[in-house]
Amino acid sequence: MLRDIIKKEILDNITSPKFVFTFLLCTILILLSVYTGVTNYRAEKKEFTASLALNKKNMEAQPNYSSLAGIGIKVSKPPQVLGTVVSGIEEAVGRVAPVNIAADPNLIDSKYSSNPVFAVFGALDLMFIVKIVLSLFAILFTYDAIVGEKEKGTLKLALSNDLPRDRLILGKAIGGYISLLLPLLVPLLLSLLFLIITPDISLGGQDWARLLLVFLMFFLYLSVFFSLGLFVSARTSRSSTSFLVLLFLWVIIVMVIPKAAVITAGQLRPIPSVHEITAKKDAYLQQIQAESQKEVREWVTKNQADAAKDPKAWQDKFKQYLQDFQQEATNKIDQNNAAFERDYQQKKRAQQSLAVNLSRISPASALTFGSMTLARTGVDEYDRFLASVRTYKPIYTKWINSKMGESINFQTGEQTKINVEDMPQHVYEPEWLSKSLVRAIPDFALLLVMIIIFFVGAYVSFLHYDVR
Amino acid sequence: MLEAINLTKRYEDGELALDNLSFKVEPGEIFCMFGANGAGKTTTINLFLGFLPPTSGTALIEGVDVAKDPLRAKKHVSFVSENVMLYGNFTALQNLDYFSKLAGKRNLTKKDYAEVLGRVGLQKEAFDRRVRFYSKGMRQKLGIAIAVVKDAPNVLLDEPTSGLDPQSGREFLEILVQMRDKGKSVFMSTHDIFRAKLIADRIGFMRKGKLVMLKTVQDLAHEDLTDLYIQYMEEQPASAPAAPAGM
Repeated sequence: MLRDIIKKEILDNITSPKFVFTFLLCTILILLSVYTGVTNYRAEKKEFTASLALNKKNMEAQPNYSSLAGIGIKVSKPPQVLGTVVSGIEEAVGRVAPVNIAADPNLIDSKYSSNPVFAVFGALDLMFIVKIVLSLFAILFTYDAIVGEKEKGTLKLALSNDLPRDRLILGKAIGGYISLLLPLLVPLLLSLLFLIITPDISLGGQDWARLLLVFLMFFLYLSVFFSLGLFVSARTSRSSTSFLVLLFLWVIIVMVIPKAAVITAGQLRPIPSVHEITAKKDAYLQQIQAESQKEVREWVTKNQADAAKDPKAWQDKFKQYLQDFQQEATNKIDQNNAAFERDYQQKKRAQQSLAVNLSRISPASALTFGSMTLARTGVDEYDRFLASVRTYKPIYTKWINSKMGESINFQTGEQTKINVEDMPQHVYEPEWLSKSLVRAIPDFALLLVMIIIFFVGAYVSFLHYDVR
Repeated sequence: MLEAINLTKRYEDGELALDNLSFKVEPGEIFCMFGANGAGKTTTINLFLGFLPPTSGTALIEGVDVAKDPLRAKKHVSFVSENVMLYGNFTALQNLDYFSKLAGKRNLTKKDYAEVLGRVGLQKEAFDRRVRFYSKGMRQKLGIAIAVVKDAPNVLLDEPTSGLDPQSGREFLEILVQMRDKGKSVFMSTHDIFRAKLIADRIGFMRKGKLVMLKTVQDLAHEDLTDLYIQYMEEQPASAPAAPAGM
């Protein structure tokens, strides 16, 4: 009997105009989003390769190490292949981190900063399609699942038989869910095929696992709305009321809660602005620079007598003094910046954590954070990359300082030509799947809990539903 | 056999929908229940289908108490409602196939379905047409076909002739007579005095949840049913006999 109900539900859905509409729209939107994602990824990859070459060329073009120290180097963030389906915050936070002696590294040159019109409309990635469009479809498939049958009289007719209610709701849920997945599965499989055959897209074993987990998260997210639809449908006596209630809940869940959570967290845990922090860092830098100039002048005055006695020895001594002094000043700046940064990051993390946890009441947020973590395009990935650049900065600073000290000839004032072959390279290890998965587990768990709550709600409501 | 014993239903808002209702529908009998809107006819059917729990009293189908064992009781009853829309995306055959499977009839063939649909007066060309394009009368015939296919010993009909054209109405009455001839107990709530008079074995009048009159068709042979109807539907009929309990 259960099989008959499932079969009927699927047949009833797939022969309806809403299925045809959903299928067509899903196919168009999903394929379009993946195509856009692939195109963007290929462009970003090309840009990344070009920026590496350009950076090297720029460095080598510098006349000496002092000049190189002045302009610094640029560390580019490699694009993530799963950004093709979940673009995350990649486009908003920037792709390049300049590293130089004075400034604290930060990501700049975002796609939005180079072309603000992208910020207006946002990315049309697969996650957006699932989060906004497909969740609406899930509601469209379920708002009248129970109440619609009541209105048609078929519920009363079906239950005039020796048919247990639990079997009917189970059959309707399974059949309805399969019907919802059908228009989703076909374009998703086509998208996977597209990813496989597209040149420049190479998915490793971990990427495939991540992609499948992202898809699993999509299905769970849609299941939340599906079971919510069943629940509301089993609590109302008119399909128009059910639709309005669901639409209202959708707006609250998808639009209001995530934004309200960020605003609330900002109010509850305020942090200083980036400009405030930068101003403090700049003030300290200027203070150190002024002190440095004074100290160097004092050193020269104090040791001037030695210069006349043995100029060569004096030069070596002065070179060593400058190298040590430069390193010491850089260390002071770094330590001060690091202290500011630690404090700022700590406050920012606390605010972010509060915002994330508050917004997780909404399945839309759980989907966003979970899928971004799995696709490595989220806030954590941005923090990891920035942390790796900040770890790299002192290594680079030490190298450039030593090179500057070694290369200056005080007698002629000339500096040797630069050679970047022995420059320490920035290393950025991708996060292992197991770690990402551990961070995504709360989001999976939240979605599952919501599915269970709504489905149990629908089940219990239907057992007591007034079918008259 | 269908039997109501002192059936009472009081809703949560205090409204008394059924007041100590008792009647019996024997095998091979058509029982027509009249009553104004809100008299309690549909509530009676809902109690027999287990959609409502009785406040007191018992509804029995083939001796099974509906409130105690609704699923076992419903094995023995078919139901035709006033205005069932059915599944609009399905054809008549698909609708019939689904509901017959729900009724536990798993071995019926397309030929069997076609035979039943023909019997209820549905045109052959309409068998494979989507039900959303059906007229009300056609849908009603399909609803009757669903009840016929179930072939239960008891049939509950909730104003089944409303909206039927004369031809469809006549065909429908023929089916009910066939059911009676097969020994089924048929309970029909209706406003359709003329059709009821043609086929009913007994007729009951309900007012405010009470059975205020119960007569056999022989008793009514020389009476004007319309006058009786109006008389018994009035608030305080001039000479309303007490409802014979336990009949």
